[in-house]
Amino acid sequence: MKLIKKRGANASTAAPGLGEAIDRRTFLRRSGVALGGAAVSGALPVTMMRKAHAKGASPKAGIATEMRRSICTHCSVGCGVIAEVQNGVWTGQEPDFESPFNLGSHCAKGASVREHGIGEHRLKHPMKLVGGKWKKLSWDEAINEIGDKLMQIRKESGPDSVAWMGSAKHSNEQAYLFRKMAAMWGTNNVDHQARICHSTTVAGVANTWGYGAMTNSYNDMHNCKAMIFIGSNAAEAHPVAMQHILRAKENGAKMIVCDPRFTRTAAHADHFVRLRPGTDVALVWGMLWHIFENGWEDKEYISQRVWGLDRVREEVKKWTPEETERVTGAPPDVVKQAAQIMAENRPGTIVWCMGGTQHTSGNNNTRSYCVLQLALGNIGKSGGGANIFRGHDNVQGATDLCVLSHSLPGYYGLSAGSWKHWSRVWDLDYEWVASRFDQDKVEGDKGKPVSPMNYKGIPVSRWIDGVLEDPKNMGQKDRIRALFMWGHAVNSQTRGPEMKKAMEMLDMLVIVDPYPTHAAVMNDRKDGTYLLPASTQFETYGSVTASNRSIQWRDKVIDPVWESLPDQTIMYKLAKKLGFADQMFKNIKVNSDEPLVEDVTREFNKGMWTIGYTGQSPERLKLHAENRKTFNTTTLKAEGGPADGDYYGMPWPCWGTAEMKHPGTPILYDPSTPVAEGGLTFRARFGVEHDGENLLAEGSYSKGSEIKDGYPEFKADMLKQLGWWDDLTPEEKQLAEGKNWKTDLSGGIQRVAIKHGCAPFGNAKARTFVWTFPDPIPIHREPLYTPRRDLVADYPTYADRKRFYRLPTRYESIQSQDFSKDYPIIWTSGRLVEYEGGGEEQRSNPWLAELQQDMFVEVNPTDANNLGIRDGQMVWMDSPEKAKIKVKAQVTRRVAPGVVFTPFHFGGWFQGEDLVAKYPQGTAPLVRGEACNTAMTYGYDSVTQMQETKVSLCRIRPA
Amino acid sequence: MARMKFLCDAERCIECNSCVTACKNEHEVPWGVNRRRVVTLNDGVPGEKSISVACMHCTDAPCAAVCPVDCFYTTDDGIVLHDKDLCIGCGYCFYACPFGAPQYPQQAAFGVRGKMDKCTFCAGGPLQDNSNVEYEKYGRNRIAEGKLPLCAEMCSTKALLAGDGDMIADIYRQRVLKRGGRPQTWGWESAYGTTG
Amino acid sequence: MTRLLSLFTGVSLAFIVSGCYESPSVTSYEPGVYKGAKDPLMQANKDQRAETMKKRFEMVQTDR
Repeated sequence: MKLIKKRGANASTAAPGLGEAIDRRTFLRRSGVALGGAAVSGALPVTMMRKAHAKGASPKAGIATEMRRSICTHCSVGCGVIAEVQNGVWTGQEPDFESPFNLGSHCAKGASVREHGIGEHRLKHPMKLVGGKWKKLSWDEAINEIGDKLMQIRKESGPDSVAWMGSAKHSNEQAYLFRKMAAMWGTNNVDHQARICHSTTVAGVANTWGYGAMTNSYNDMHNCKAMIFIGSNAAEAHPVAMQHILRAKENGAKMIVCDPRFTRTAAHADHFVRLRPGTDVALVWGMLWHIFENGWEDKEYISQRVWGLDRVREEVKKWTPEETERVTGAPPDVVKQAAQIMAENRPGTIVWCMGGTQHTSGNNNTRSYCVLQLALGNIGKSGGGANIFRGHDNVQGATDLCVLSHSLPGYYGLSAGSWKHWSRVWDLDYEWVASRFDQDKVEGDKGKPVSPMNYKGIPVSRWIDGVLEDPKNMGQKDRIRALFMWGHAVNSQTRGPEMKKAMEMLDMLVIVDPYPTHAAVMNDRKDGTYLLPASTQFETYGSVTASNRSIQWRDKVIDPVWESLPDQTIMYKLAKKLGFADQMFKNIKVNSDEPLVEDVTREFNKGMWTIGYTGQSPERLKLHAENRKTFNTTTLKAEGGPADGDYYGMPWPCWGTAEMKHPGTPILYDPSTPVAEGGLTFRARFGVEHDGENLLAEGSYSKGSEIKDGYPEFKADMLKQLGWWDDLTPEEKQLAEGKNWKTDLSGGIQRVAIKHGCAPFGNAKARTFVWTFPDPIPIHREPLYTPRRDLVADYPTYADRKRFYRLPTRYESIQSQDFSKDYPIIWTSGRLVEYEGGGEEQRSNPWLAELQQDMFVEVNPTDANNLGIRDGQMVWMDSPEKAKIKVKAQVTRRVAPGVVFTPFHFGGWFQGEDLVAKYPQGTAPLVRGEACNTAMTYGYDSVTQMQETKVSLCRIRPA
Repeated sequence: MARMKFLCDAERCIECNSCVTACKNEHEVPWGVNRRRVVTLNDGVPGEKSISVACMHCTDAPCAAVCPVDCFYTTDDGIVLHDKDLCIGCGYCFYACPFGAPQYPQQAAFGVRGKMDKCTFCAGGPLQDNSNVEYEKYGRNRIAEGKLPLCAEMCSTKALLAGDGDMIADIYRQRVLKRGGRPQTWGWESAYGTTG
Repeated sequence: MTRLLSLFTGVSLAFIVSGCYESPSVTSYEPGVYKGAKDPLMQANKDQRAETMKKRFEMVQTDR
């Protein structure tokens, strides 16, 4: 045996030259992460050395170990988690091999969730800020003080002066209760992260073919022949999805990644298209130009199932390879090749995420992606679809159950009819519900008087303006005076300095979270801030909806730690104090202040007819959880066992009542399967005709349908006309009379439609021309902050709006100013695999925090050389709105010259200052850094108020 | 008899670091000690590849050869382990190791090193299997429980394979066959020699 | 002078060249005999374990 000499691991690394490109790990090593060699040299400061946790959480020999089942609380893949618990302490994690979603796998975050149960940085007691100092108080004191203040504000300014910002981390039951609580309080100023993650997807996609969700599943991607990712970095944001994606690739699927950065996902792609941030429509139309030019579109599919494509053709004609390159920067042959790969490899799927959604014209982007897939005939097919990866673990469920300001659970909207539907479900008098709201009409978005009850509330992206704006310019009586940040990171919202000002103007700020969060420290409030410790989902139980619409049941792993309480209990306590607990929990059992979760599930099962959240009873969900291993890992269908024939988690729509035993819909709009077995058509959501053109499907219908053509949505009268009315039972008839498939509480109309092979929501064409939107055909519009002044004239943004979601909203007045001289660099943001969202819980977790210790900005070597910046050096990033952040420069070719990238998970710094001293003792996250959104700028989508965080401008200078 | 090996499929590794945190979680490895880490080559440019690296449990382990106190042993299934009661933390094994696996928790200021710590293939050390004392010194003993190393069991894309060398080679060969291209069994030659 | 110079050149050359030289005899070590405690894992039923591990492996690492 020879002693093998190896150099490298401990070779001293000379400081790199100016602008030398560097890899992320080297960057990290310099940031203080010990790898191999550094460990030998004993370079670690003593303070870094500590046992990760109190010894109490280690597994002990000779003590019985219980295995408990939950679902990861990070992203929307829905990975199963198996927890080992000894004497109520979470001592270990095992892989969940039975889960068909993750087959035992996890990413860095999922593999470290045990830390939630044993971590030392959690918020331990209710606290309040008194004279600038944190003071402990009891739950009763906290609820009393908060409740009294809320009632005072209600009396003085009306219920709309309280804004309730909820969470995509809620379980379905908590999300539903949260929306109900806001309704009982009497405001629509309730919202959550979906607004700033996929609101433009939901609006754009639902307005194209009916529902705004991911059409297929991660597992179904095994069947893809091509996959195109636009603005999705799955390798960092949805790592376990990559297992399915790489399996598809190994099966021969071609993989295309379109992104301004050469991402970790791009590193695995067959074809990479680099585009300038904010030019998605241009790129997609550039691809479609080749498809139309070469006749690659699916003509039969289009004639049967797509409406309005000729109008798109007119727009696409303008996007010649030259014009596409002028706008996007992508070379003609690269774009053509992408189009050709998609055309030659069908079925193909499209994946998009925040890179596409977070723009002032995000709704245009999402609709253009849909159009591409419709032209190729890829929607409603296994291996095809729009696989829109959602962000948080339950952002799909919280959207469905509607922690949103513009709708009610199940996307019912805010009309009187919708409120009446839910009042029936709640078993409450509609008049009482209406009496909770401000009774004075205000001027609405369209300039007409509207009742606050029927008027979309202020969204989470704009709560700042809800505080700062003059009430004269607002669509409500007074400004926001009290704000709840309930499981919501403020560092995911833009305009830091204005946010700070708004926070300081609030009468009261209530933060309900397992951690104190950036919101607790980024302002200089001295009084009236409350921190209420919420439990994580591992300390309670309930259902959660994965991105593919499957609903999974979580068991409780451990009891709530320290004095934390689950959200449902906190909501009950508040409702009791505010005087509407009896109404809110009328049909929900409450055990010592904790509402029975199953009763909440059953209640929303009774009302969620629109999207089929009606068949997934708690009993069926638990049955699926217990028999996970019987589901096929590609089709998700149970093969044998007690759930035989069901699809895992009964992906919605799971039509009718639980007794009807609909198996769930694994692939939306797939007519090759009967509706009773999970097939579907496109939804007839937009009427039967427009401009004299038929909107219903022609010659396409789902397998076994007795109506062999398009048909409108089902109503009681339609059943009568069809002669199917007598298929209803007498009890069903009573409830169904005068109702439709969405409002019939018996489920009879749905049952009978499906019995005859029909989809309850009708059978229509997808529409590519959305006449209700600002841009009926998606068109390219330059971002508000753009360096391409030459393109502003050709592709201007929208005109400013006087009132939009109750607030004035600016477009043109910003874009018309040229900031590009002083702020020449394009700035985009995104995710890191170790962190998620605002990052509070991960940056407090030593196993994750150790891997990413510094907030950084990726700069191309060319820019670094021009600016005189070295790798690892601190730099200032200045925004055109005069905010600044201090971050570490990472010089890398991952970004193109002229473009920089920052991750968005950091917090705990504000404009150069570490706020560690401002956290309650022992709760500061291990890793803190500048929140990139402190310096991200104004800009909101023209349909949903999505913030524009994927493109802005900045200036960089050495610090 | 099985011969335990690690193999990281660079075509599948996405540098998600699940192997790193799974290891930290399973053995409560303290901050600054990394039994496993992910190395990325050509970061940020076409050709970017990541590989998860830890102790490879070499045949004829060089660490064992240089150890002045002879604290290393190899189990029947090829796992290289050491006795921390003998280890003096001299650091020779670090220089001998082609993979930079040995780690030295710092116990005091001025660079005095603690006993060497490294990946155990989740097989603990020379103490009663899964006793409290074994856990504290070496971490969990999954092998004694009939399980495989948690890093591989939790790998997000099943890039990191751990188990009997023949079995992982079979799986890897099938993948290479399916997707075409040349096998790149990174580190295998150094660790297990040309004959494996 | 020339002699002196050539001597100097010779000496320095020798030095320079010796910098390029690497001894072909690498010290190789034979591992010593393990002196630590016995690992109970080694006493366990190996065949049975191999069988369990094989089953585990199939569950864990195959693309099911």
